[in-house]
Amino acid sequence: MSFLLCIPIILPILGGLGLLIAKFKERIKRQIYVASIIIVDMILSLIFIFTVPDQKFTLVQFTDTISITLKVDGMSTIFGMIVSILWVVATFYSFEYMKHEGKENKFFGFFTMSMGVVMGIAFSANLITMYLFYELLTVATLPLVMHSMDQKASSAGRKYVIYSITGASFGFVAIMLLMNYGVSLDFVYGGILDMAKVGGMEHLMLAAFILAFFGFGVKAAIFPFYSWLPSAGVAPTPVSALLHAVAVVNAGIFAITRVIYYSFGADFLRGSWAQTVVMVATIITIVFGSSMALRTKHIKRRLAYSTVSNLSYMLFSLTLMTPAGMVGGLTHMLFHSVLKITLFFVAGAIIYKTGREYVDEIEGFGRSMPITMVCFTICSLGLIGLPPLMGFTSKWTIASAAVESGNPLSYAGIGALIVSALLTTLYLMIIVIKAYFPGKDLDVKTLNKDVKDPNMLMTIPMIALTAVSIIIGVYPTPFISVFETIANGLF
Amino acid sequence: MIILETNVLLLLLVAFPIVAAFAGYIIGRKSKKVRDYFVIAVTAVEFGMAIGLCFTSGDFFWKGFVGYGLHFRADGFRLIMALLASFIWLMTTIQSRDYFAQFRNRNRYYLFMLLTLGATMGIFLSANLYTTFIFFEVMSFTSYVLVIHEETPEAHDAGRSYVGFAVLGGLVTLFGLFMLHNILGTLEIDQLAAAAAALPEGSFGTLLVAGLLTLFGFGVKAGMYPLHTWLPQSYRFAPAPATALLSAILSKAGIFGMLVISCNIFLHDYTWGMIMLCLGVLTMLTGAMLAVFSVNIKRTLACSSMSQIGFIIVGIGMQGILGEHNAIAVQGTLLHLMNHSLIKLVLFMGIGVIFLHVKNLDFNTVRGFGRKKPVLMGVFGMAILGVIGMPLWNGYISKTLIHESIVEYIAMFPSMTGMAVFFKIVEALFTFAGGLTCAYMLKVFIAVFVEKNTDPEEQARMDAKKKYMSWPTTICLIVGAVILPVLGVIPHLTMDHIAAVGEGFMHGHGLDHAVAYFSWTNLKGAVASLSIGVIVYFLIVRMCLMKRDITIGKRVYIDVWPRWMDIERWIYRPGLLRILPFVGAFAARAAYSVADVVITGCKRILFYNRPEKFVAPLNNEFGTYNIERKPKRISNSLAYSLLLFGIGIILALFFLLISTLVR
Repeated sequence: MSFLLCIPIILPILGGLGLLIAKFKERIKRQIYVASIIIVDMILSLIFIFTVPDQKFTLVQFTDTISITLKVDGMSTIFGMIVSILWVVATFYSFEYMKHEGKENKFFGFFTMSMGVVMGIAFSANLITMYLFYELLTVATLPLVMHSMDQKASSAGRKYVIYSITGASFGFVAIMLLMNYGVSLDFVYGGILDMAKVGGMEHLMLAAFILAFFGFGVKAAIFPFYSWLPSAGVAPTPVSALLHAVAVVNAGIFAITRVIYYSFGADFLRGSWAQTVVMVATIITIVFGSSMALRTKHIKRRLAYSTVSNLSYMLFSLTLMTPAGMVGGLTHMLFHSVLKITLFFVAGAIIYKTGREYVDEIEGFGRSMPITMVCFTICSLGLIGLPPLMGFTSKWTIASAAVESGNPLSYAGIGALIVSALLTTLYLMIIVIKAYFPGKDLDVKTLNKDVKDPNMLMTIPMIALTAVSIIIGVYPTPFISVFETIANGLF
Repeated sequence: MIILETNVLLLLLVAFPIVAAFAGYIIGRKSKKVRDYFVIAVTAVEFGMAIGLCFTSGDFFWKGFVGYGLHFRADGFRLIMALLASFIWLMTTIQSRDYFAQFRNRNRYYLFMLLTLGATMGIFLSANLYTTFIFFEVMSFTSYVLVIHEETPEAHDAGRSYVGFAVLGGLVTLFGLFMLHNILGTLEIDQLAAAAAALPEGSFGTLLVAGLLTLFGFGVKAGMYPLHTWLPQSYRFAPAPATALLSAILSKAGIFGMLVISCNIFLHDYTWGMIMLCLGVLTMLTGAMLAVFSVNIKRTLACSSMSQIGFIIVGIGMQGILGEHNAIAVQGTLLHLMNHSLIKLVLFMGIGVIFLHVKNLDFNTVRGFGRKKPVLMGVFGMAILGVIGMPLWNGYISKTLIHESIVEYIAMFPSMTGMAVFFKIVEALFTFAGGLTCAYMLKVFIAVFVEKNTDPEEQARMDAKKKYMSWPTTICLIVGAVILPVLGVIPHLTMDHIAAVGEGFMHGHGLDHAVAYFSWTNLKGAVASLSIGVIVYFLIVRMCLMKRDITIGKRVYIDVWPRWMDIERWIYRPGLLRILPFVGAFAARAAYSVADVVITGCKRILFYNRPEKFVAPLNNEFGTYNIERKPKRISNSLAYSLLLFGIGIILALFFLLISTLVR
């Protein structure tokens, strides 16, 4: 029965290919087709996630150590759950949004395929499998980034491909080194290094870790390899929302978690010079991302820079190399996904209804688009970390893990978190304040005459996600206790 | 999973206003009238529940709320604060109906006012610092909307400093809480003292840093020097009922946080006491000076709030300095906190009444408004006598207690050298600040109720206003004003008992003997203060702060406060908004260019033979090649080849899959 594990991966890939070949003429038929594939796939994935089958499923066995193998473990469940549920939400949103972008067959074809690839990353059981799907993800999402095929989009796409593939190739070098100095390439909590072999070669392995961290860190937009992410904002908004705030970037975080906690082992890395290097990089990224967000006027790019900063919250927490740090990273991964996708949905709704893309153009929208702006406000406050909303808990978890770890750099990290929170307040609240309190000299009524909330397909995902963010924010304990089990290697 | 420990009323006190806020908003969209009554009913019910709370005890604990858990408790001090908050809220809400009659956006005001009520209750009932902090942050954000309610440029400017300080304060406090949690291992308020006492030698330095960081946010809300700069402007431009809440209750939320730190973590600690004492003296004096120099009546009262908060902080400082035998300081702090709330409620409600008729509250325009209005004058008089510490009014009692605590400490020194001189100076400054209180209150009273307006027509118009407030407001004002002398005349029957109920929170042990409030030694301090006040009023206020205006030939109030004394405009704002962003942007640009230089270098090498092909990216938004792309076949593009490559991989994978399945 274990071969069933590959169905959540194969189904969307085939479904997407089918869509590319069949090219539906009628919108409604295509929507039903896409929705059914994605919903079925979500249900299947969730079944695996909640039952957690014990067996592995080996797709191909190349050699004793190299194989394409699937397995569900604790980490897979978190990533798989975030991705599969949000994918469905984003699909409905894009049904409406893509009406004005055109080329829907191509879009939904690749959109569906990407889901399978991401599930592949989630369910991979060893580094080689993860690497394979990781590269495939770049390929499958490239057409989505370059959707409009104009100059900006192709430039952004080129940047995306070059950054991602180069990064992954660095990761590949590290994988090869791990193969030589490790027991196997499977993911085992606590690491797979063979200490007998490593003896004397510690610095080589630490260098390999640095390579892997920055290699996979490209997708997590670590400084100085972040710049593809803001550029990729030219993609249609559902892509920015789902891929560049959730799936692709979290794949980077996921890969780094696997590398730190399941391959090299946190014990091996803790206290080494390599840890200092990566922590410094994350601290720089946290402040840098927020500062860039503040000086960017384009809403989507501002959110993209905000993602850069927030991804490094997670990386900072993960690089503490303690179980508590891993809990912090995973918590923020979940919370940030929900909040950021909603913020992007709102930015998309504004573009879809009015074509306005800049911060200064949305004055007075609080009255014109009430539902949209309420969602934006609540999620902004959540991301800022206003208790009792979501971001507060994750920030609390990260910072207490940092204080606990006793690493001297962790205080610098908390300082960075606080500076970044201040900047977050500025760059998000400026939007909110402009929307609700427009300047008196502005004739908002005529300016926003035709501005209205979008229809149900777009508002319901936003409202649902905002509601979820409030509920989880107020009562995060079940999630955190699951994360704690995972971070202690019990699941 | 909610774990109930007997007292659901605690949760109800916090959650009910929050739920009712949204209900009120929905009602308000249908009918404004019903909404107004609804909101008053909500605050009345809240007050009722607070009274009900006195007959219950115990905790409410919700494990897992926002991670760490929610913990409320009903005990002495918290009960007093809850009662005080809900009473003042009820009073201001009743007045709000009149006050906001001509305003827009009332629905928004009531929504955020009730949310703030819930949050404030959350702070006052909290039994762990985590809960305190959660509601403190909520309160900061919801009260921002109250401050900027009028949406004038000045209100927005005041709001910016308000929210800026609030956010910064919240974050610094959060940092402090992380450290405290790590050092002490708990944030439960009643375990803090034991945890701090159990710390090994040598860790006091870290604890002190953590304590000061935590204090930061609370200090901001209380208006403690040097974090006070937002206060005069925000209090002045917020609508009067909101200012009453800000001054009477929200600033006390800051004091609550200070008490949690001072009376638990640094219980009976001399160093901490000295820090608080110095901050308190500075706050008290700065506030009083600003108040004397102010030319706007609402700003005077705002600065007065700051000054009175300074008195309270001095009391907190003396608690630490006196150590075990600090009962007198404990009671003084507690009572002054309560008295100040009650007094400021009356004063700001009175200001609200005046504002309905005179839109500009500068001394020169509001002058003479109170003539021939005995009720308003009586009410104002009661509050002013309370705040200046006139014997037989409530403010006298609490000020005497704090003053007595300083005197008691001085008496412990064997000779008048070294530190004894320092405390002697503190005592003198305390009396002097009391004198300044008297001076600026005289300024207010004489300007509004005694002097005539410089414009006789305006004066006639003001005198003609006989129905200047509605009966609900009148009743609220009179109720608020009558309490003050009642408390002051029979302190042993009223205030001593209140102090006894609340002192457990500050680890006070009760007085050995009742204080003889009306003995000559104590009266002497009040007399000294009041005389200083009268002298300052006639010498400084009348001589230096008023000038003959040649155009109308009468003396008017002038603004002589030097512009450069505005710390916010000259230090904080430029520092935060100019220098910091410049440094940040410079660093960000430097960092930004690191990656770009590498990429540009790579491209130059790549296009070495065809320099015309490459142009450095100019467009910062989306770095692109600057030249027009020649239309070329898609089959030549990189994307297309990658696409084919991807399809190839997928096919290979598919083949492998099938071959495995077949095998």
